[in-house]
This record gives sequence, C-alpha cells and structure tokens, in this order.
Amino acid sequence: MLNYNSPLVKENSYSELSMKVINPIMKLIIRGKKREFLSGVGKAINMILPTESCTSSTSNDTTALWLSPDEWMILSNNVIDKNTNSYEQENHLINNISKINLGAVVDVTDQYVLINIEGKKIFDLLSTGCPFNFNDFRNKKGGVIQSLMAKIDIIVHHKEINNVNLLVRRSFSEHLYSFLSDAASRI
Amino acid sequence: MAKNLRTKGSKFIDETTRVCFKFNGNKYFGFKGDTLASALLANNIHLVGRSFKYHRPRGIMTAGSEEPNAIVQINDNTAFTEPNVRATEIEIYEGLEATSQNCWPSVNFDIGGINNFLSPILPAGFYYKTFMWPASFWLKYEYFIRRSAGLGKSPKFPDPDIYEHKYIHCDVLVVGGGISGIMAAKISAKRGLKTLLVDENPNIGGSTIFQNSKYYKINNLTSSSWLENEIKEINKLENLTIKTRTSIAAFHGYNFLLARENLTDHLSANEKKNKVRQRLLKIRAKKVITATGSLERPLVFNNNDRPGIMLSSALKKYADFFGVACGEQNVLFTNNDTAYETAISLDQKGIKVNAIIDIRENSNSELSKEVEAIGIKIYRSSTVVDTYGYKRIKKISVMQLSTDGQSVKGQKIFINCDCLGIAGGWTPAVHLFTQSGGKLDFNEEDQIFLPKIYPSKQISIGSCNGDFELDKIINNTLKILKEFLEIDETEYDNIDVSGTRNLNKRNIWLLPSDKILGKTKPFVDYQNDATAKDIKLALREGFRSIEHVKRYTTTGMGTDQGKLGNMHALGIIADTAGVKMSELGTTTFRPPYTPLSFGTIVGRNVGEFFDIFRKTPMNDWHVKNKSKFENVGQWKRAWYYPNGNESMHEAVQRESKAARESAGILDASTLGKIDIQGTDASEFLNRLYTNSWTKLDIGKCRYGLMLNEDGMVYDDGVTTRLDKNHFIMTTTTGGAANVLAKLEDYLQTEWPELDVYLTSVTDHYATISVCGPNSKKIVSKVIPNLDLSEDNLPHMSFKNTTIDNIKCRVMRISFTGEQSYEINIQANYGISLWEKIMESGKEFNITPYGTETMHLLRAEKGFIIVGQDTDATLTPIDLQMDWIVGKKKYDFIGKRSLYRSDTIRDDRKQLVGLLTDDPKEVLEEGAQIVANLNKKPIEMLGHVTSSYYSPNLNKSIALAVVRGGKNMLGQKLFIPMENKSIIVTIVDPVFLDKENNRLNA
Amino acid sequence: MFLINCPFCGEREQSEFKAGGEAHISRPKQPTELSDDEWAEYLFMRKNIKGIQFERWNHSHGCRKWFNIARDTSNDQIKAVYKMGQKPPVI
Repeated sequence: MLNYNSPLVKENSYSELSMKVINPIMKLIIRGKKREFLSGVGKAINMILPTESCTSSTSNDTTALWLSPDEWMILSNNVIDKNTNSYEQENHLINNISKINLGAVVDVTDQYVLINIEGKKIFDLLSTGCPFNFNDFRNKKGGVIQSLMAKIDIIVHHKEINNVNLLVRRSFSEHLYSFLSDAASRI
Repeated sequence: MAKNLRTKGSKFIDETTRVCFKFNGNKYFGFKGDTLASALLANNIHLVGRSFKYHRPRGIMTAGSEEPNAIVQINDNTAFTEPNVRATEIEIYEGLEATSQNCWPSVNFDIGGINNFLSPILPAGFYYKTFMWPASFWLKYEYFIRRSAGLGKSPKFPDPDIYEHKYIHCDVLVVGGGISGIMAAKISAKRGLKTLLVDENPNIGGSTIFQNSKYYKINNLTSSSWLENEIKEINKLENLTIKTRTSIAAFHGYNFLLARENLTDHLSANEKKNKVRQRLLKIRAKKVITATGSLERPLVFNNNDRPGIMLSSALKKYADFFGVACGEQNVLFTNNDTAYETAISLDQKGIKVNAIIDIRENSNSELSKEVEAIGIKIYRSSTVVDTYGYKRIKKISVMQLSTDGQSVKGQKIFINCDCLGIAGGWTPAVHLFTQSGGKLDFNEEDQIFLPKIYPSKQISIGSCNGDFELDKIINNTLKILKEFLEIDETEYDNIDVSGTRNLNKRNIWLLPSDKILGKTKPFVDYQNDATAKDIKLALREGFRSIEHVKRYTTTGMGTDQGKLGNMHALGIIADTAGVKMSELGTTTFRPPYTPLSFGTIVGRNVGEFFDIFRKTPMNDWHVKNKSKFENVGQWKRAWYYPNGNESMHEAVQRESKAARESAGILDASTLGKIDIQGTDASEFLNRLYTNSWTKLDIGKCRYGLMLNEDGMVYDDGVTTRLDKNHFIMTTTTGGAANVLAKLEDYLQTEWPELDVYLTSVTDHYATISVCGPNSKKIVSKVIPNLDLSEDNLPHMSFKNTTIDNIKCRVMRISFTGEQSYEINIQANYGISLWEKIMESGKEFNITPYGTETMHLLRAEKGFIIVGQDTDATLTPIDLQMDWIVGKKKYDFIGKRSLYRSDTIRDDRKQLVGLLTDDPKEVLEEGAQIVANLNKKPIEMLGHVTSSYYSPNLNKSIALAVVRGGKNMLGQKLFIPMENKSIIVTIVDPVFLDKENNRLNA
Repeated sequence: MFLINCPFCGEREQSEFKAGGEAHISRPKQPTELSDDEWAEYLFMRKNIKGIQFERWNHSHGCRKWFNIARDTSNDQIKAVYKMGQKPPVI
C-alpha cells in the first residue's frame, strides 16, 4: 500500500484565532472562455460558476472560486478518500469539458495545501504579511482574492464570517505555516 | 551638583513614581513621564555629548525629535544597546543606562576636544582635501579617522528584540496629534471615515496641551483645557484609531507611508519581555492630512552652541510640560514675540528670567507689555555677539545692531546666565510633504517654505501649512478640511477663538559680531559642526548648487538631517550669493524623517524567515538520511548523502559509480511542470521551441530548447504528449515561474487566437527518477502490472499506470545517459513511493544521489545545464546543438535572431569539452582560458563552465565556452592559475557513451 | 509603491504585479522578411520617454492577466488602465 502523507500535520489555537491544515480536499483548476464551457461545467457538477471577479459559489458538496476571467478552482467541501486519486467530479468535468475541447481540467489536489483559519483576529493575522486591503472583504462572505503573504502566493477564500480558507502551494506551505503561527502567537 | 530644578507639579508627570536611571555611570532619579532630557535637566545636567568634528561640549537643545546634540548610547555593552538615541525622545524607565557618544575617555574630558583648537586648519572639505594624497596612504589615514569619527557604537551582539510589519489601510490618515490634527481626526471619524491618527509623542495634544496663556482662549476656556475635552471625546470615536509613539518615517507616492510604532522602548526590562519592540506600519491611506507642526529655529551667532543654549520653545516645554527649570538665571534671545510667551511662562513657574535680547527695534504686543510689567529687562535692536563658558554657558556679551543688521555698534554689555533660550522664528515641518513629491513655495513675509502643489490626495493643516496663530490655525484648518473632505459643515463651525497677533518680525540669517567672521564660530548645523564660515568658504570655492554646498560642508546631513539649521544655511547662501531664497530652492528631504533601526526595517524576515524555502514531498526522507542540502532557487535540494564521515568528493564519486554500475535514485520534484491543454497546444509548442512538435505521437516525449527573441537559450526540458490536445512540459528548477509567465505573455498578447490553457502543476507531483542498468528490474518490482518492454515503453515515451490503486505516470527520459524511469505521482504519495522503491532496490544497492552527482553524470554525457553552461549570451548554434533547430520551420521564438550579423560570427564563444593533460587535475569552474601566455595583455578566450573528476572515466572532465572553440578540436590551451598554468585540450563535449548504448542496456 | 487598478481584480498593491516594458510593440508576423535593422528595431529599441508612457503590466500574483497602463513617468501617476488588444487612450 502506498501511504498518504499530509504535507503538514498542523493545528494551532490562540486567543480568538485557530489554524488547521485540512486534507485531502479535492482541488481542480478548470479553464475556459466559451459560453458552452460555462454550461458544460454546470452540467458536469451541477453548479453555476461565479463570473463576477473575486467571488465564489457553493453547492452541497462543491465550492468554485473565481481566479481569473477564464480560470476557476473547484474544491470539495469535505475531505475525500485518501486511498484513491480518482475523483468522480473530475471525470465528469473531463468528459464534459476537455474531451470535447471546451477548455481544460487539471487536477491540483496536491498542488495546494488548505489552511483553515477561524476566529475574530483572522485579518489582524493576515495584515502582518499581506498587502491586500481587507476592510471591505472582511464584512461579506464569499469573497476570493489572490495576493501575497510573507512574499508567498496565496488564495484567500472568505468562507464564512470569521472563517477563512487559505490555499498555498505545497512546497511553500511549511514556511508559510510557521510564519503564520509565529505571527499568530503575538496577536 | 545634586540640585533639584523641579518646579511645582506638572500633571503630565507622575511624581508619585520615581524612576532610577544611570547616565555616564552615575545614578539619577526622575519621574514616570520624563524623557531622559527632562530628567537630566531636572538634575542640572546640560552637558551630554561632544560635537562630531571639533568635539565641542554640547548640551540639550530641544524638547523633541529635531534634537541635534543630545544623542546618546542606550544600554551600552548589552545586546539591547542602541546608538544615536535622542535624549529628548527616549522616556526613562527603571534601569535605563545611557552614555554620551563621540567622546573619549569621557564627556567631561575628551581628547578629541583638541580639534576645537585646531579648527582653523579644519575647514569644510578638510578631509577631502588633505587625505587624498598620496592615494596609497588612504588606508593609513582611514584607520585613524574611523576611530575618531562616528556617532555611537554599533551593537556587537545579535538584536534579541522582536520586530513586526503590519499593513494598515485607512480612509484618512492624520499625521500629528496637535490641535489641528485632533480636530481633523474628529471631523473625519465622525463622518464614518476609517481614520488613523499618529503622533510621535507619548501623548497627543502637541504644544497646545500645555498652553495656559490667557491670550489664547477657545470657547472661553484656555486652549489647553478645551483641547483636553476634545481628546476625551475623540478617544470614544469608533472609526478612529490613535497610535502614539508612532512616527512617520517615509511618505511615498500613492499615499503609501511607512511608520514606526514604538511599543516597548519606554518600558523596563521586565515589562518589555516577550513583547514586540517596534512595528513597521505600512500604511495605505485614501487621503492624508499632514499636521506635523513647525520647528523653532535657532539664531546663528558667535559660539551659539554651548551647553545651556537651548530653543526658547524647549525652555517653555520643559517648564510647562515636565515641570523642569532649565536654568536659574535665564536669558532669552529672540527675533519675534514667542520668546515673550516663554518669559511669561517661566515667570509664572517662578523661574527667573534676567533679560530678553531682541533684535527688533520694538514690539508693542500685549505679550511684550506684560513682560515689561513683570520687570524683565529688554535689550532692543541688540544681538548677542559672544557667549562664554566651556561646559556650560556662564555669560553673554551683547551689542547694538546697526540699522541694516549687518554690523554691531556701541558699548559691549555682559550679562550672566546659566541658560540662554533662543527664538529665531518657526520653520513649518514640510519634510513629509516634500518626500511625497510635493512642490514648495517660498513665503517672503515669514521667510518659510510652504506646501504648494500636492502630488496625491493629501493636505497640510496647522503650522506646517504656515498658520502660526491660534485663530488662524483653527479657521484655516476648518476651511481646508471642508474642501478636502468634501463636507459643508463641521462640529467646530461656531467655535469662538481669541488670540494675539505677532506680526512684527525681523529676520537676520547670520547675526554679526564685533569679531570678523573668520574668528567666530556661528554654528548652522550643530550635529555636523558646520558653521556659517564653512558655507561661505564653499561659495568662495565655487560651489553654487545648494545640493553641492550640502555635501561639501555636510550641512543638513547626519541623524537629524538638518532639521534646525537648513533654513539658515539657505539664507546665508542666498544673502552671500545675492540670489532669492525662492530661486535657490531647498535640498531634498529624504526618508526616514527620524532614523529607523535595522530591526524595524527587516521585521520578522530574520532567522528562519530570512528567505522563503520550498521543500519537496520527499524532504523528510532526505533529512532522515543525513543528506546535505543545497539551495536551488528557493528550493532545498538534496546535494549529496555522505556515508558516515565521507567528504563531499568521496560521496559524489560513490554515488556516481553506483548510478552507472547498478542503480541510482534522484528526487527531481523541483523541476517545473506546466500542464498545457487546448486544440492549438501543439502549434503553440511549435512556436515556443526550436524544434518541431506537430508530429510528436501521443505517448511520446521530446526534449526542447526555448530561446528568447534575441536567439539566446532561455530554458530547456522534456515535454510529453499525454493526448492529442494535452501536453505536460517540464522546465528547469529555477526557470519554472518565469517560463510560465513568458508563455502566458505570448498567449495573451501575441497569439490570443490560440486555444491553449496553461496550468502550473509543479507542486502537484512528486518526481522520482530511477536510473542505471538495474533500474528496469527495480521498477518492474514496484509496478508489476506495467509492461516495461522496449516495445511498450521505449526511451522517450510514457505510460499512465497505477501503483496500489493510485494513478501515476512513468516516463522513459534520461538526464544521465543511463536507462532511466521517471515516475510522477501525486505529491502526498511521494515519500511512500520513494520508500517502496528503496526497499525494492535494496538487493541492487540502489543509491540515492543528489544534485552534485546529477551534475557530474550529465557532464559525462555533455548535457548542458541552462544557467550554468549558458549565460544568456549563447545560441543553440554556439552550444553545438544545431540538430535541435528546426531550420525548415517558418518561425519560432528567437529564430530571426539566429542569423543576425552578430549571431552568425564564427568567433563567438562556443561550448566545447576540455581534458587536462594531467588526468588528475580538476579545473576550477569559472577559470579563464587563454591560448598565448606571453602576449600582453593576455587575451581571454573563454571560461570553464562545469568541471568534475569522473569516477566512471577515471579522469578529469570539463565543459567550457571558448571563442571559436568549435573549430579548435585537439588544440592545446592554457588555464593560468595562481601558481601554475594548466594545459588542456579541446575535445568533443560528449565524454561517455557517444553511441547512447547505455540508454537501452 | 503604486496602486494599480487591475482591470480584472480591482485596485492592488504594486508588489502583486510585474512590469513588462513598453506596450504596443507587436511581434512582427513575418520575421524572416525583415532586415537585420528592422528586426533590431523590434528587438531592442524602446522609447523610455519622460511623460505619458504606455506600458505592459502583469498581475502576476493575482489573476495572471496582462494589461496596459498609461503612466506619467515624471510623477508615476497612472492615467489609464486598459485591456490587451484595446487601443491606447488619448491623454
């Protein structure tokens, strides 16, 4: 048996702030420009992609993050089976998108590490290394931005008020997590 | 000595909390709320340092961040030491130890003081002029100059404090918490704007908060009582954040400001433990309101720098705010009415004022009448011509000014004093405004520079905008804010302000003495010991630009950046050269406004956070197996795996032999991987790479070389066709991000018509490369369900497969020349698969190898590493890789450049192999290559790019670039080293298995 | 540090972007037809003017899209932001 190894096994709690690495979460990048692409995605995973910039949409089992006018990230809402890397939704998307040349579907499940941050001090934490202006962002849920944290690329998804998913590339995750926990320890 | 100069209580000082501190080794007491300066003055200590060049005794001049003289070393000889701390800013705490700087052996007896007597031979530019010749002596001069120069000592130990950065975004930033800043903050926050108010002092309130004069009333209250109520109110405002002890260091374009928030410098060692010391705030404000106030000017006259000579406003602040008398026999010297305010304040506190020397003929203001009524003697139309007393002023001499103010006349009068307050008018603090790119305008009436053209959404209010009287400050502030914040009314519209007018001013930049200028010392810049004489000398020697005069005389440099003396320097230049101040302009005010410590600038980017690191999925295994690591880009890569005490050379020789004789395993996860999909994917690759891609079969891999448009090699790697419209490209480790950006650039800007999508998948995969004659046997054990026959999986092909139900890809590609299998599996299964392969390979002595062995193995095959063997000046033709350039292709990136007149020259540097005559001699990478050692100057033909001792060939091998090297096969060349010349022969760069037999062994 | 209004993501800090040099220089469609001088003109020659300059920028740490800006190089004011393929605005 090949064993699944989490990139990080981390969980930390501070006053009014907690951080936790969650995995495995299925992550796909889908890309396309045509109108048929959007309907194809809708058919494949039964949800409408967010077309407004820096927003997201969510169904029962899936969340879609807007990344660019022709790029989205599809996430499973819950953890998936560690003993396979074949995903039903990916197959649906491949059949309805890439197989018929409407766009691209790419598995990036292990490309990104998902860090869930909860608590009232989330944006105080992020402001120690992220230049983005969270003043409006913090007040409404569903927002998605890509920016830098401690000079590392991040995707921030405002899942719920006081609950944020932060996605970072796997190879950077250890560095970023220790930067975050260091900063959090003083907040 | 132990005199107590505390006057009756001040509400700003907590007299119930006594604080013990040390200055120059002696123990003193002050109170909570004191600065080091106020506590020293209360102990009757003025002498705190020596000047930079002449080592003249210097005292405390000011009560704020503009202090040029009283800069001290804090906590010397500890890890917490800090030089150049302004005594006027640092708040005392229990256990504080401060020492004087720039003096040896002590501030009372300083050997450097001899420079003061040598000063006639130490004019401006002395060091430039004297120590230049002979040039070879400079090193000797430097040794002595360095020892006697410098302000303070840099710390010897690592800084143990914690510093942080923080981004802040606000609607309105108000800089300065004086009366106008407080009003602006309230108006802004009350309108729902997210407002930040910063002030460098421990309390807000500016100078109004201790202004108890009956002449200034707001709504029938003294201005200080009114402001106290306002402060109570704004403290309750929800949209307003107030940060004290926070100074703006820099004001950049687009309203981006850097501020230092000082959190613990006023706390004792126990209280500050484990707390962040300082925070660098990176502030982005939609609008900025600058209310930085103004700085009082000194007067420039003979010997105006003795301890005990202070700004008149500082005397007032020490009396009114700190409850400290700076002297017992005070004299004031002024060109305007503010000194009269000081006199009244001091008198109210019971501090004796002996006289006021006023350069004006008369003043009929209420203030002046009151001073006369008190009985203080006023000398009008007079100037101080000299001062006396070495370590503390004792006496001044005064004479009458001529009508034009250029000379003195009449009888010389002597007046005793132990403190002289000087008042030369006010200079608006426009430093931040000019830093932001603002343009100034000269105001002739007040002889000041004022903000004129604002480069961003910002405004200046209060005295930094040239309003000095209370009623003018308030009325103009309201008017300006209404327009700036686009509002019709404010909560202050019905305010009732009364003030007194000080209209009578007389400005003389350089006050005359009875001695000629050559015999006097009128200091303009205290910290740099620049006098009026030096400035005139610079003009005589032909310097005209204010920027040049500044550098020649050092006026306006140093830690205070000439906050006090800059205007006088300009005035003296203008007067001497006969030009207008408005035409002369000012020197550039550069950030930071007050010095920042390195700790604040770097924040948390120290230690483990100094640089970003990236780790591969197998990193933990490498660590566990004692790998040495090398940084490649941001990656931590396994470099070599020493067995026991093996040296790097021994380990690499062993790893290299094992890979060729049995099996080696390499972590190649750092290679960039880009997923390419779309109906035009193959056409896209065709345009990117030098070779052809349209005919590549599904399931096959191909090596590609990517050029820049200038024809130079940019990156290389193997790309695999996964499906008709689906490829996966590998890039070099260091080039991954740039290659993806370049590809996106072409897709989005040059060829938007192409249906292609790019996605980085570098981190998604763990890449494990198994090579060597036994690699096939090992892989077949790991993946028994995969047919590894040459028919099914030949060299340069791939197969999708599964290992224990986990999908993965196996590729036959080789960077070593051996039969190789590269397995790409999802990253989170990487370490498990690596261990499984190690287990399966045990019987074949599978040997993990690192980047060093990888480099050696590929060099044996003559494979290039982009960035090591190339340097953005080599074309594929230069690399002898003509075979990869699709000459029949109509176009690809960089093609046209391959036949520019410069790129088709025969004598370009070209890649060749080198063998040393002595097979044991290993060349140094970077070593120069020459043909003729006798011809001078020696002509360099090229250099060694890669060099190793090959254990498989039992000799030294090297790759090099040599001018015209392609046609020099067999030729002998020299590599001159420090003690010898090494003879080498040019050979083909492929040293091993030219026929590629080992690939399919 | 500029604030750049990415046409896709909105106003962001300069640190999220990479500059890509002068805008509106198209890659010649038929490079082989060009003389050395003409090719060098495309390859090397850039105006670098004082005043309004049209530049390419990439939101490299955001949506990865390229776009153009009109920047006054004398004071760094960004006068306009527009998408690739659009004509430069008249300023």
